[in-house]
Amino acid sequence: MHKMTLGFALALTLGSAPVLAADTSTASAEEVVAKVHEAAQYLHDKGLAGFADFNNNKDARWVWKDSYVFVYSCRDDAMIAHPLRPDLVGKPILQMKDDKDKALFEELCKAGAKTNGGWVEYWWPKPGEGKASRKISFAHSADVSFKPDIQVAAGIYDDKLTADDLNKIAEKAAAPKKDAP
Amino acid sequence: MSEQKLGNPAVVGLAGFGLTTLMLQFHNVGWMGMGPVIWLGLIFGGLAQLIAGLQEMKTGNNFGYCAFTSYGAFWIALCLMLLGNNYDLFKASTTDVGWFLVAWTLFSVILWIGAMRIHGAMALTFSLLLVGFILLDLAHFGYPGLTVIAGYELMVCALMAWYMMARIILNELFGRELLPAGKPWIA
Repeated sequence: MHKMTLGFALALTLGSAPVLAADTSTASAEEVVAKVHEAAQYLHDKGLAGFADFNNNKDARWVWKDSYVFVYSCRDDAMIAHPLRPDLVGKPILQMKDDKDKALFEELCKAGAKTNGGWVEYWWPKPGEGKASRKISFAHSADVSFKPDIQVAAGIYDDKLTADDLNKIAEKAAAPKKDAP
Repeated sequence: MSEQKLGNPAVVGLAGFGLTTLMLQFHNVGWMGMGPVIWLGLIFGGLAQLIAGLQEMKTGNNFGYCAFTSYGAFWIALCLMLLGNNYDLFKASTTDVGWFLVAWTLFSVILWIGAMRIHGAMALTFSLLLVGFILLDLAHFGYPGLTVIAGYELMVCALMAWYMMARIILNELFGRELLPAGKPWIA
């Protein structure tokens, strides 16, 4: 009996090895859209207490492969939650510039304010890297109790895709989220 | 023993209702954070208005009794709900808060009908309050942009409540009808 359990556990470990290996790969645009929608729904359900789940938590479900979900408020001009950069949390965002001198959050705020969200291209380091890479992020608004104007976003690192290509993916994935009544 | 003159509890009720409503709208349109709104909501809009409401009982004014006590309780409930929401104590999703507001909207309809029998200022205040509630309901069910419109609309409502407060205080002090109430909408 004991042997069998061990064998089963071993099979499980071996079986999951390729999945672990896949975790080092790159996130796809579809995954990003799905995660951002999931995050918006989570915050809608959870309210203010939900922010903590996004902060400082590398093992949480909001970090995967080479991507992660971050939360910010354009109206309050503040980063609300960022799983990999706790130093940015609570700091102003709108004056932030990337390596090409682009005010990335001004554009993220505009894209996120659209009904089905939108994509923005800018330069930002990959997790664990110092040098900035081309990143395209999907921003979407989230309804949070007692906290209007929250947006969630996540991105992919890619050298070819354009925001226009990706907006088509986002439109297709626009979840029909309608609450009663 | 001569009859002692009593104050009108409505002045405190209207003061608390007006000031706290105004502060919440300053937040809703994005001018300020939430901190002061919570504490004022608990003490002035909540506790003070609730006590004023309970004092209305002795004046024989059922409308004021019900309105001030209820909206006082509304403020306390709203602030406690917000605090609970922050500390993950009894989840309140946007939809849940929406339904909370829908219930208060329905409640306000009854007082709105009563308000139209009192005088023009009361009718206008409750009309603005009702419209504000409806806008906030919609804001919680898929039209979040309406929060800001509701914010400006309810600022006018709060100022109308203060107008009625000013009427009671100033008309007495000046000894004449300095600020008129206006005719009832339903005679």
